[in-house]
Amino acid sequence: MPEKPPRPIKILSSLPLNLLLNGVLIIPFIIMIYLALVKWSPLVGVNWWNAPFGGVVNFQRALSDSRFIEALGRTALFVAIVVPLELLIGLLLAYILQKPFRGKRFVISLLIYPLMLPPVVVATVFYLFFQPYGPVNNIFLQYVIGPRALNIYWFLDPTLAFITIIVADTWQWTPFMFLIMYSGLSAVPKRLIEAAEVLGASEWTIFWKVRLPLIKPLISVAVILRSLEAFKVFDYVYVMTGGGPGTSTESISLYIYRLAILYSDISYAAAVSLIVLAIIFIVSYFAVKILVGRR
Amino acid sequence: MGGEKASSEKPKKFDPDRRQFVITIGSAIVALGIGYALGYLTKPVERITTTVTKTVTQTVTQTVTAAPPSPTPTPVLEYPELSDVARRAVLGVKKLIADGVVPKGATLRILHVAGSKAQLEKAIELWSKYVPEIKVELITMGTEPDVYTKAMSEAVTKTGAYDIVTIFSTWLGDLVEAGLAKDITVYFSKYDPEYVGPNAPIEPLGSYTTLYKGKRYALTLDSDVFTLTYRKDLLNDPKYKEEFKATYGYDLKVPDTWEEVINIAEFFTNKKLTSPRGGRVWGAYFYVEPAFAAYISWTNIFLEAGGILFDLETMDPKVDSPEGRYAFDILLKLKPFMPPEAISAAWADLYDKYIHGESVLTAAWPSLTKMAISSPDSVVKEVTGTALMPGVKLEIGGKPTIIRASPNPVNWVGIVSNYSKYPEASYLFLQFMTAPDIGLEVILSGVILDLFRESWFKDPKYRPKAAAGYGAEFLDAYLESIKISYPDFIIRGGPEYASKLTTAVNAVMAGTMDPKTALSTVAAEWDSITKKYGRDAQLEAWRALAQLFPEPIKMAWKAKGYMK
Repeated sequence: MPEKPPRPIKILSSLPLNLLLNGVLIIPFIIMIYLALVKWSPLVGVNWWNAPFGGVVNFQRALSDSRFIEALGRTALFVAIVVPLELLIGLLLAYILQKPFRGKRFVISLLIYPLMLPPVVVATVFYLFFQPYGPVNNIFLQYVIGPRALNIYWFLDPTLAFITIIVADTWQWTPFMFLIMYSGLSAVPKRLIEAAEVLGASEWTIFWKVRLPLIKPLISVAVILRSLEAFKVFDYVYVMTGGGPGTSTESISLYIYRLAILYSDISYAAAVSLIVLAIIFIVSYFAVKILVGRR
Repeated sequence: MGGEKASSEKPKKFDPDRRQFVITIGSAIVALGIGYALGYLTKPVERITTTVTKTVTQTVTQTVTAAPPSPTPTPVLEYPELSDVARRAVLGVKKLIADGVVPKGATLRILHVAGSKAQLEKAIELWSKYVPEIKVELITMGTEPDVYTKAMSEAVTKTGAYDIVTIFSTWLGDLVEAGLAKDITVYFSKYDPEYVGPNAPIEPLGSYTTLYKGKRYALTLDSDVFTLTYRKDLLNDPKYKEEFKATYGYDLKVPDTWEEVINIAEFFTNKKLTSPRGGRVWGAYFYVEPAFAAYISWTNIFLEAGGILFDLETMDPKVDSPEGRYAFDILLKLKPFMPPEAISAAWADLYDKYIHGESVLTAAWPSLTKMAISSPDSVVKEVTGTALMPGVKLEIGGKPTIIRASPNPVNWVGIVSNYSKYPEASYLFLQFMTAPDIGLEVILSGVILDLFRESWFKDPKYRPKAAAGYGAEFLDAYLESIKISYPDFIIRGGPEYASKLTTAVNAVMAGTMDPKTALSTVAAEWDSITKKYGRDAQLEAWRALAQLFPEPIKMAWKAKGYMK
């Protein structure tokens, strides 16, 4: 049995990585906590390390800030809608594409193409799609409801504007779910499916009782990853609605951006970010526990 | 690399004996005598260098009638083709190089937005013709918020990465308080960019875009004053004139008040006209969009109605007032006659609709007129008219008076960074690029920066060039508009105050908030911004700014008792 290296050697060998991690992650995080606890903005004319101590004042302010609470709730609602939607569509597409057919590779590469686009490009395209004379009204809806379709102003109504953001996000991120579901379903051992078929199980039963349980860990990972990403939604909101009308579609990321960049309210932005981080951490912890840990 | 900052060597203690004292005083007297004699001998040359263009007629008359020709050799005027302002800048920077304050080959770096690249490149091209020893480099940012972010980062990190930053005047308060903008009063006095006299920037714009709390921190590069832009063909059509008079009881004409704007907008919207590209023609299009511009329309009506943004004694917000409700009342009455996209589209949509003939009355920056008369897509090239912004009728001193004022949202100005290695040379570049002759060339080479010096509108040397770029009719209306223009929120937190107002105005127009709630919300939010930066400091800045508002607005404030 090889001898264990002495402790100083172990410490020394991991020192570069530790320094890097501390430098890249921990120090900025500590600065962020510090900023949240002081009252500082670049506009107050003092350096950030000389800012007056504010204690929990920024956190208290956040709890009574209706715009923050609304943005947080709206973002949570957004995640609650887009993630299941993308999962269902992705799973459906992945299931359909399990069957062999001519041009399957081409269809798959076409399906994952939206993932390669920058979100800001997707947002701009969908912004144009939903204009009153854009293709959504002019081509699709006109067939369904007639010329009235041209009078639908998607970005004037808070609910409709929110829907446009959901549509854009779903279009871009469904392929992510599809890709994971497709690889999961493809990895299900054929012998299990054949055995179920021999036993007379229907297509639905095979899917429900064989395929789905086997890819459940993958679904959990996909849902967690996608939820974390969707919670940070920014580009679609910024480009398509600017958070409007009023602040009715403002997401938490857009609100933090405005606090930090537009209003130079750095300390408050840091406090709000920490609250959001804490919420995401708690939710993710329980989600992982429920979705993965139960296995 | 020599900086301009003086070295911080500790001075030696001076402790003379009697002999040393006599020698020192004697030397000082002799030096003073020599200095005075040299100064006397060189004085005429100095005077000619700086004032030759103004005094030449008088000098010739005196020479012929009263005295024989002076034996003094005729001095050679350097760079005679340049205006005095540009020449002083060039000579100033040459002297800095000669004195070793700025080394040959030094580079000045300008942080600016992409839209102004063509105009800044023109300025650099002209600069390098006269000052090839000092290079100027552009650091281009994609959008305006990027410039603000970079400037604010520089204020925090103090790297000296930029010598000059071109900013919205709205940000001036923020960047002064953050320590980035340098007080340029000394350079301003030393090199005289002519902010007084026939070449001066038009007042009050020249003052409110460059002063903060009474000190000079910027040189103006631009004017962004709004004018009323309208369809001449429709307003002058005899058939419409007749119909309009029959309906409203007065002549169809360029509107003087917002009440008239509502009538005209209603009249043309109800006509259900169609533009050449098939879109509907709307009676009006004024900014109420969510991203940043909605505050402009509301503030314009509010101020014309005699409203004041903050109390001049307490800094309490005064938006939740009868004037605030009146401004919403006007905008909500106009809403049915504006394209619905006005509430959701980006600011450029107004330009698109107007040049395609889809709005009759609108208001925007000077670039709208430039675009309307020169864009290949424009269908309103020959029929675009420009006038003063509509006003609000008030009783002042027992007499009905129409108060008119023009917004000047954003307005690019140039600041010198406090962390620049070469602040004086940087200032001189700004003076050069905004000089009467160079500045006009720079402005006519692009679309972002617009006319601001009075001579460009009046002096026969410059006016034809300016008229070729903007149209003569526009120039006359624009000059008058600048004279009644008012500043953006040029106090600390300016962008934040404006943004909160924009959000509320947009929400009211979209129907997601009622005016009463919007006004009380804005008042509360503004008050918390004021508290954040300190009421006294904000009050000092607001009081200084309020003095720079145009006379019609101050007259209304005085009539309402808001200003003493």
